[in-house]
Amino acid sequence: MNTLRIRDLTLGFKGWSGTVEVLHGISLHIGRGERVALVGESGSGKSVTARIVLGLLQSLRSTRLSGLVEFEGRDLSKLSERERHALRGTKMSMIFQDPTSSLNPVYPILTQFHEVLRRADPAINLTGARARAEKALADVSITDPSRALDSYPFQLSGGMNQRVMIAMALANDPSLLIADEPGTALDVTVQAQTLRLMREQVERHGTSVLFISHNLGVVREFADRVYVIYKGRIAEQGPTAALFEDPRHPYTRALLDAVPRITGDGIPEIEDASDAYFAPTEVHEGYGEPEGAA
Amino acid sequence: MTHPLLSLRAVSKTFHSGGREVKAVDNVSFDVAEGECLAVVGESGSGKSTIANMILGIYPQTLGEIAFKGAALPGRRDLAHRRAIQLVQQNPLSSLNPRRTIGASLRLALDVHGIGEKAGRAERTGQLLEEVGLPADFRTRPPAALSGGQRQRVAIARALACQSELVVLDEPTSALDVLVQARVLKLLADLRKSRGLTYLFITHDLSVVRNIADRVAVFEKGRLVEIGPTASVFEAPTHAYTRRLISAVPVVTVAEAALRQRLTEDADAHA
Ligand SMILES: Nc1ncnc2c1ncn2[C@@H]1O[C@H](COP(=O)(O)OP(=O)(O)OP(=O)(O)O)[C@@H](O)[C@H]1O
Ligand SMILES: Nc1ncnc2c1ncn2[C@@H]1O[C@H](COP(=O)(O)OP(=O)(O)OP(=O)(O)O)[C@@H](O)[C@H]1O
Ligand SMILES: [Mg+2]
Ligand SMILES: [Mg+2]
Repeated sequence: MNTLRIRDLTLGFKGWSGTVEVLHGISLHIGRGERVALVGESGSGKSVTARIVLGLLQSLRSTRLSGLVEFEGRDLSKLSERERHALRGTKMSMIFQDPTSSLNPVYPILTQFHEVLRRADPAINLTGARARAEKALADVSITDPSRALDSYPFQLSGGMNQRVMIAMALANDPSLLIADEPGTALDVTVQAQTLRLMREQVERHGTSVLFISHNLGVVREFADRVYVIYKGRIAEQGPTAALFEDPRHPYTRALLDAVPRITGDGIPEIEDASDAYFAPTEVHEGYGEPEGAA
Repeated sequence: MTHPLLSLRAVSKTFHSGGREVKAVDNVSFDVAEGECLAVVGESGSGKSTIANMILGIYPQTLGEIAFKGAALPGRRDLAHRRAIQLVQQNPLSSLNPRRTIGASLRLALDVHGIGEKAGRAERTGQLLEEVGLPADFRTRPPAALSGGQRQRVAIARALACQSELVVLDEPTSALDVLVQARVLKLLADLRKSRGLTYLFITHDLSVVRNIADRVAVFEKGRLVEIGPTASVFEAPTHAYTRRLISAVPVVTVAEAALRQRLTEDADAHA
């Protein structure tokens, strides 16, 4: 059974001037212990897809949703708001793109970490939480975990807050981890360390990862499979190595050509967006979507 | 004698939190010449954003002097300084007022600094959005209805709205896909030329630095460990931390992997 299966997902936002269609039928799946990357255009629908999986958009009045989202074989639309809430932070966890949307500015990190641990272990006290949190922060290369725990988010650097979120997201051994741009504020050595940590987590607990990133170098090093998304449609999907060596979709090619090189050839020349970017999905051999009993 | 546009002399910043002292910036000196793009890279938590905040006058330095055009910057900035030195914050969500539409936020920046004729300002907000590759009708949306990368571009548009001289950019392109990133970097490069802007460009993306910066400053634990022209820092880094940094960059091409390999071997040889 796949940990996550999404089929023909569409999403629109209703506003005064009609509905804005954001997702036009996305299908993807993540097997147990698989690391799957979702890469693509800014504004193409990566974060909203993640929020739908977490059950955060279902209850908004302005959203129009259709399609199937199945977590460990359970259709999310058949769960109550309470059941969806119970999954969040325990079996599913998320590292948000923007730390301000998941760290509360008015509580010290320790209080927030305690909350997270209590979701899975309601009996844990502050002393117990402190011990576990210190260990978890040391794992993400925070040099003085005890200072970090006694700090408010504004007293920590951007990268320290990001690492706090990564540590919190892994704390309850989720079966699905959604990481939305987890490394943007990390220097490359710390980033390599956090990727190692996530990889260990995957191996130890069979965690599945949905990894959203604009950093194609990181995706190449971390993911088993990649989905490329353009304006709410999947453009290309396949195993990481094949996709980087043999990009087939015009949008994927344009994306790979636009990566700045560390060897220094100047900022890449960008052509205007082309209608060819709307070409049908390219699927690499043997990497299509499973047929489920949908 | 001409002065550098910005100069830091023996600047330190110590924070006190929870009964402890944190030396965030430790005796740092460097200059930024007019028209230059200086990249600031380094360890997470090494004091980069703290330096940005002191240059902006968000809080004062503990020791040392920060001078703009040869004159020490006062603790409390007047409107002229606030216009001359602009910041694009690391966190675009927290820098945009959630209750204001995007258009109103941009409009406010134009009003505060009295940019352009009053009658043309509403239209100008639309142009600013288009310059960073967003549709003009995003004016009517609140920040929550934008993706991460779209918000980041609004923050850039706002900093460019004012006729500033020095722009401090803290991770300005980290939330952008590489196509949009290339476009925004081109825009920044063009504006630098046409308006004679000066950039202090803080980022973890060394591949971006390699292609846009004139010089690079490398920070570790609050200290400036290396500063020099971009090509020489990348091809022949002198400090061990710089070598470690460059050899950890995730890359996509074979040529890049070869450069990284060479630096890793150098690093091992020096160790
Ligand atoms: N509440 C909303 N109302 C209207 N449109 C919205 C709303 N939330 C998001 N959108 C739009 O939906 C699209 C997808 O947004 P999403 O945040 O998923 O993008 P993304 O792929 O994560 O982009 P980025 O890489 O920039 O973070 C964007 O064009 C955005 O403007
Ligand atoms: N207001 C504050 N109060 C206490 N400590 C602070 C405060 N602001 C920053 N610090 C501390 O100063 C140090 C430097 O932080 P800074 O935000 O400048 O790092 P940075 O180089 O920008 O890191 P990153 O790359 O992660 O964004 C960190 O140890 C941080 O915890
Ligand atoms: Mg996003
Ligand atoms: Mg910072």
